[in-house]
Order: sequence, then structure tokens, then C-alpha cells
Amino acid sequence: MKFGKRLKQQIEQSLPEWRDKFLSYKELKKLVKLISTAATLGRSMEDGVAEAEFIYLLNHEIEKFNAFFMENEEDFIIRHKELQQKMEEVIDKWGPKGSQPSEMEYKEEMAKIRKVIVNFHGEMVLLMNYSNINYTGLAKILKKYDKRTGGVLRLPFIQKVLEQPFFTTDLISKLIKECETTINSMLPPSESARIFHAERDHQAVPGEGIFRNTVAALLTMQEMRRGSSTYGHFSLPPLNLPDFEVIQSLQVIFPIQIP
Amino acid sequence: MPPAAFKKKYSETQSSEMEASGAMSRSLSILPSPVKEKFPQLPDSPQVTLAQELTSNIVPSFRSPCSSNQKMVGNLFSSAPGCPSGLGCSSLSPNTNRWMSSPFYSISPRDGVSFPSTQLSVSIVENNDVPWNVDAIENFLDMPLNIPVQNGPIETSTGIMSSEDRAKKTDWQDWTDQLIRVNDDALDSNWSDLLVDVDVPDPDPKLLDLPPDVSTCQPQIHQAHPHPVPSGESCPVIDSPTATSTKARMRWTPELHEVFVDAVNKLGGSEKATPKGVLKLMNVEGLTIYHVKSHLQKYRTARFKPESSEEKKSNTGSEMTSLDLETTMGITEALRLQMEVQKQLHEQLEIQRNLQLRIEEQGKHLQMIFEQQKKMEEEKLRALSNSDKHSEPSEDNHASIKDVASDVCIPVDEHPSKKETSSEAKPCKERAPDDRGCSPPMKRAKAYETVTSGASHES
Repeated sequence: MKFGKRLKQQIEQSLPEWRDKFLSYKELKKLVKLISTAATLGRSMEDGVAEAEFIYLLNHEIEKFNAFFMENEEDFIIRHKELQQKMEEVIDKWGPKGSQPSEMEYKEEMAKIRKVIVNFHGEMVLLMNYSNINYTGLAKILKKYDKRTGGVLRLPFIQKVLEQPFFTTDLISKLIKECETTINSMLPPSESARIFHAERDHQAVPGEGIFRNTVAALLTMQEMRRGSSTYGHFSLPPLNLPDFEVIQSLQVIFPIQIP
Repeated sequence: MPPAAFKKKYSETQSSEMEASGAMSRSLSILPSPVKEKFPQLPDSPQVTLAQELTSNIVPSFRSPCSSNQKMVGNLFSSAPGCPSGLGCSSLSPNTNRWMSSPFYSISPRDGVSFPSTQLSVSIVENNDVPWNVDAIENFLDMPLNIPVQNGPIETSTGIMSSEDRAKKTDWQDWTDQLIRVNDDALDSNWSDLLVDVDVPDPDPKLLDLPPDVSTCQPQIHQAHPHPVPSGESCPVIDSPTATSTKARMRWTPELHEVFVDAVNKLGGSEKATPKGVLKLMNVEGLTIYHVKSHLQKYRTARFKPESSEEKKSNTGSEMTSLDLETTMGITEALRLQMEVQKQLHEQLEIQRNLQLRIEEQGKHLQMIFEQQKKMEEEKLRALSNSDKHSEPSEDNHASIKDVASDVCIPVDEHPSKKETSSEAKPCKERAPDDRGCSPPMKRAKAYETVTSGASHES
């Protein structure tokens, strides 16, 4: 139930509109349990029903992910362009070579945009996280299913999942990187990019929904990959976050219960 | 809810289901005749039930060409539990065709499939209609599955009927509205007629009395449009073949959006531009007015509430934020910190995703090798009398063997915990050992070589 618990935590920490869009891991597990083990030769009526339901639910979930993901992706595309446009407008108007050059206005507007972009970036990253965590859940539940029924549903099914829109996150990734570049140019360069410099000020971290969720996501990811009893050649290696202590310290500020 | 009761509910709706599927399959031009003929036998034959199931709403995945999916899924279904040679089919009530209606599998006509007298066909369907079906099914699934309804408020399945109906009714009305307004577009008049017929005369009683019939009938008819989609279109990646009313899921790209914005600007801005005008101006194949309409809506929202909506998002859940805190730390520093964390998460996600991809790639390779090995063993058994014959491994195969083996080799080093199956490690005495460098995959590589040489030997 370890993954299930982590998933639940993640969901609790996520943006409200997202909460019902995650994988129904618990339900799927229940269905798998309903299917009798492969030991029984004859497939009973209940078995067939349970299995069919399982597959049905899987497909439903994937459809859910796809819909949600693409909806958000579309939004991101639009917002991305709008932000770029806004920046251009500000530069054209209040920038040094603009129609009404005004350093103060420029700085003020740019600061606003900067904040917006950072949050925008965060949201996109969270969408990627959404995609990933659902994929992980699917992989796990399929593994359980195969184990339980002795079937070979997992491999071909996963191959299909890999091609699904919600998992092909290249576009989002590209947008994210573009944002990062933009923000790097907007934020004045600091002595070090490492966040442990912020340690001294960590008690003053803003607790915005997006930021908080990002922290939670990172930590959850680390926890999930800590190593399990069923480590096999389909498992991911443990994750070592470079600034783990700092990120953990952020937990003090955010009331996230990640043990 | 006990499965028995569950099944009973479904058997009640059996006839209407079959009807619906019948309607669908009749309109499918790709459906091979054996299945068609079998339809009248539906009540009796479990095998045909399966055929019906498998020919029902099936959607290929978005971007991959149909052909590549076929083998995979063929494998899948031949080994899918509960569906072997028709024996277990009776356990799956006919209405499980809904369940099996995966939006992701494309099933090809395949002789090798173990289902007796069944021919599977590819039917391309609208993705958005599947959740529709789903909702209908959920209505009387009556299961403790708290699957949130996509279009309605979140409720448990039991007693969802009324809200579901309302939600569905709105859906249908939306579609009907779309249709009626967009009448001058390239709409199949049959379709709009059908829709209007089903919708306008009081959908509610229909819903309550025969939910499966009506609800599944409609999307079926939608989907019955016999246009195989050439998947992998370059510009808009969609699965809707024509400018019809169907709610196809469209995947937008920045480039496409640029085209959209250009068109909108040419038409005088987001307020003035109409979906129809934009659609015409964009002139993108496969794009429907529905897509444009919803995109335009999003666009307008993004433009006219840019400040308020974005800032609102920034301030969501900021119980801990106060201007004091931010000014203490310095807004810049706060942003920087946030940025760093986000960047790290992104980085880790990318790494994780790549790892997952590689793991599955590797799994696929192993599976391939394993199956080849099995095949080879079978062939060897058959050709036992000719076991003395040698043949040199063909040169062209050799290169690919090396590629596969080396692909397999690398991950093995990283995952020393991986176990070798005995069949894969089976040594081949006839071949001279190849210099590989890592010993476990060496055996595998040799086995693979033997496989391909065996294959060439056969040919």
C-alpha cells in the first residue's frame, strides 16, 4: 500500500481542480484482488467479470488522463504565447527603446510578469508530475495484475500507455525549458544557483499552492524510489536529490506529512 | 455488489447492446463478413460474443500507425485471461463489450489469434465518446467504484441516475446546438438527422428506461463513420476524420496555435472573430469547428482576464504567504527558491521518465528474444532429424543481433539484480563464442544469433 499512500498524499497536496484526475489506484487494486489467483484453472464467472471491469477501468482512467492532460496542455500553449506577448508589449512600451520609456513602470510590470511566469512554470512541471505519477501507478497495478492472474497484460498494455498523449510530455517539457531560460534572464544572476543559499531565509518562504505542491512532489518522488521489497528489473533506482536537506526543511514551513 | 447481481443487470440490457453493436458494425465498412454473418447468432454463441466485444468501440492510440499496434494487441488478446479459445467466453457477458472497448487497442484481422472463427477488425472511433459510454455504464454498474463522473459532480455510482441524466442531456444538447448552428459546414446530413431524432424528442424517458440503448447507441453511430484515420498526421494530431459534430480530442501545438492567432488577428481580434471564419482562414485539414470554438473560448479567457486569472493562480492556497514574508526574504529570492525547486522537480521527472522508457524498451527486447527463443526451440524439435546441418549466420542478421544484444547488454550492467531465465541463457554449442565483453548477455546474444540463424536455416 506504499504507493497508494504516497499517491494519496500527493493528491491531497495538489491543486484542488486536479484532485479527482489522478489514478484510482485503490479501486484498481480492489478489482485485482477480486480476481482469483492463477492457481484456479477454470475461470469462474466472477473472474471474468472482475477482469473485464479491471480492463474497463484501466481504459477509463487512461482516457481521463489524456483528456485532462491535453486540456491543460492546450491552456499552457495559449498562456505561454500570451506571456511572451505581454513581455513584448511591456518592453515596447516602457522599455528603454519603447514608446514611453519608464524604468519604474518597466520594472514593476516585469516583476509582475516574472512572478506569473514562475508560477506558470510550476504548473507545467506539476502537470508533468501528474503524468508521471499516474504512469507509475499504472505500471504498478499492471504488475500486480500479471502477478495475480499469471497473465501477460502488462507488457503490451504499457507499450500502449507509453504512446498515450498524457505520457508524451515532450511539448510541455519544451515549454518548461523555454520558461526557465526566460526567467534566468529576468532574474538577476545570483552567486550560486544552488538553493541551499536560501537556507538562511527559509522561514520566509512563500507558501503558494503551486510551490508547496512542487515541494511535496519532489519529496514524494524520492520516497517512492527509496527502494522496495519488490525491487526488480522494472524498478527505478533510488533517487538522490542534491538539496534534499533544504527541501526537507521546507516541509517545516509547509505542513506536509511526508515521513 | 456481488458479481452475480451485476451480471444480471447486464444480461437485461443484452439485447439492446447487441442491437447497438449491430448497428455499429453494419455501418463499419471495414468489418469482414464472417463477423457480420455471425451476428444473428449472438444470443447463442459465446465465441461470437467475443467477436462482438472485440469489434466494438476500439480506438487506436493517437500517434502510432495502426500496423504497429496490431502485433502487440494480437499478443495481448491471445493471452488475455478469460478469453482463450472461447471456453471462458461465456463468463464474459455480452455487455462486456463495453468494458473491452478500450480506446487504445487497435485490433487487426489476424489469423493467428486463438479465438475460433473470429475475425477482428479495426474500427476507428472517437475518443471522446468512450467516456460517454463509460458514464452510461457506470450508471448501472452499481459497484462500489467511486469513479468520478467526468461531466457531472462527483458522486457514487449508486443513485447517480438523475444527475447523470442531466449531465448527459446537457452534453447532447451541446452537441445538438453545435450541429444546428454549424449546419452549413460539411456535415453529414444523415448524422445530424439521427442526432436530432434521438435528442429532441424527450431524451429523459429514454435515458431512464433504456440507458444502454440510447446512450450507447448514439456514440456508436457517431463512431460508425467509416473513415480510417491516417494516424500520425503532421499538423493537427487528431482522430476525427471529417468536419463532423463529433467531439474529437484535439492535441494542439504551438505552431498550430500560431496559425490560429494569425487567423484571429486577421479577422479583427478575439472578440470579433468567429469560429467559422477562423476555421476557414486557418484551412487546416482535419480541424473541426468544434475544436476552433473551444480553443477560441480558452483564448478569449486567457486574454481578457490575464492579470486577474494569473494572479489569482499565484495567490491560490497562499495561507502562509503574507507580503511581510515576501518582503523579508525579498521577492526575488523567494522566486528564485521557488524556481529552483521547480527546476529540480522537472529535472528529476525527465530523468525518471527516460528511465521508465528505457526499462520498457528493454523489457520489450527481452520479450522478443524470449519468444524467438521459444520459436527456435520448437523449430529445433521439429528439425531434430536434421540437427547435423550447420549454416553460417547470415551477415545482414548479424548486425541487428549485435544491436539488440548490445542494447540488452548495457542495461544489464546497471541492473545487476536482474535474473536470467534459463531459456535465455541456454548456450549454443554450434556457434563460436562471440566477443561481447559482458558474460550474461553473451549467452543471450548467442541464443539470439542461433535464433536468427535458425530462422535463416529454415528459409
